Amino acid sequence: MSSENAIELRNVWKKYSKSATFHNSLREAIVEFFKGKRNGEGLKEDEFWVLKDFNLTVKKGEAIGLYGPNGTGKSTILKLIANVTYPDRGKIIVNGKVAPLIEIGAGFHPDLTGRENILMNGAILGMTPKEIKKKEESIIEFSGIREFIDMPVKKYSSGMFLRLAFSVAIHSNAEIFLFDEILAVGDESFRKKCYESIDNLKNIGKTMVIVSHDYEKLRKQTNSIVKLGFFRES
Amino acid sequence: MKFKEPLLKNLYNYRYLFIVFIWREFTIRYRQSVLGVLWAVLQPLSMMILFTFIFSVVLKYKVSGYPHVLFFYAGILPWTFFSSSINSSISSLVNHRNLITKIYFPREILPLSGVAVAFVDFCIAFTIYLLLMFLFRITFTPRFFWFFPLLLILIVFIVSLSLMFSALNVYYRDVKLLSGFLLQLWFFATPVFYSVDKVSMKWKLILFLNPLTFIVENMRRVTLEGRGIVLWQLAFELVVVSLFYVICSRIFARLERKMADVI
Repeated sequence: MSSENAIELRNVWKKYSKSATFHNSLREAIVEFFKGKRNGEGLKEDEFWVLKDFNLTVKKGEAIGLYGPNGTGKSTILKLIANVTYPDRGKIIVNGKVAPLIEIGAGFHPDLTGRENILMNGAILGMTPKEIKKKEESIIEFSGIREFIDMPVKKYSSGMFLRLAFSVAIHSNAEIFLFDEILAVGDESFRKKCYESIDNLKNIGKTMVIVSHDYEKLRKQTNSIVKLGFFRES
Repeated sequence: MKFKEPLLKNLYNYRYLFIVFIWREFTIRYRQSVLGVLWAVLQPLSMMILFTFIFSVVLKYKVSGYPHVLFFYAGILPWTFFSSSINSSISSLVNHRNLITKIYFPREILPLSGVAVAFVDFCIAFTIYLLLMFLFRITFTPRFFWFFPLLLILIVFIVSLSLMFSALNVYYRDVKLLSGFLLQLWFFATPVFYSVDKVSMKWKLILFLNPLTFIVENMRRVTLEGRGIVLWQLAFELVVVSLFYVICSRIFARLERKMADVI
């Protein structure tokens, strides 16, 4: 692939199962284990395609918006880029370190203080303890919750949670940032700060994929928008 | 540093995350607790006292020619490491579903940080063991050092089981439900409060199908009784445990691919 592409999804197919139990998945895994080959090309009962022959190219330094109704595969695309799940068919090439903004609370432990959670979350995002210590001041500064930083985060409000999570994420040294629906949360002043920092990241040449339901905001934040699910046959 | 083995390679590449996870597990466990790290010692010690009471006072049964306290502690020490590792690793993946569905990192870090925390407890409990050996004036022999290769086999066995159980638990929560009861059975199948010395040959062979039998029995023999290890048995256990490790880590690697979709 050419080196100016940060993300490339080529003819990607991804299916999910509707059933709550996963006998099939385990059975398949065991069969694969012994046969050493993968099946699962076709669609079985109670399975459906979330992505069908999907293509996406994001150049380095570009910001892409994903827009569409619920259940059209926006978050799935982020998961595929983050290498958390694998496509059933097709190829995914990602050039550079990926930093997803982790859901509020996911990378945090309620019993740890804000400061300890910065270390935790930073490590999950692939930073070394040294790097985190160096950026700690700036992270706390950006979050604007300095006076609560040594308090267990279980006592935080959800807004304070978000402030900290977002601050850690944008201080990551990753090349590719994934944002899932975050732009709608937080109070007015912090939201403004977030938009500014996203612009900042864009200016220093970071690649971004943003999922949102707010079309207007997406248009301001991104270079181009991929619309999903509008022409899908039922 | 270069590791060819995939597990060690992953752990090395993500060592900071691994260390932070261990640090976190350790911190949150003793936060808001009064006794703190003392708990690492209280559990094996109270079990030791209970066993000594039951066998010496209630049953009036002589299990060894040296103090019973030591005999039981020698068995409880590796057993506690084993059972608390399995307990904490088994639901580690399921408990972190928010992370697993969002961001990539080697999944084995989660169960293994549970094992690592249990290992820290083990080390603390081990110093108490040395103290007890000193207090009861157990004669020290160079055979004592067999303890460390045995410990290594134990760690490999624990890591294998933790990987397999935690990964299977993502698919079937039955594994967690089964584990409590399985550990109870396993406890009795392991020579924690008895010695295989007194068991007839036929049953001995069956007990030795359990790798823990070999490890726990020999840990006691080499440290307290100054006895050596039967080398062919050691070779056999090495083969069994390494084979088991290869199978478990391959199962884990295979199940890992679909974890985010299934969890």
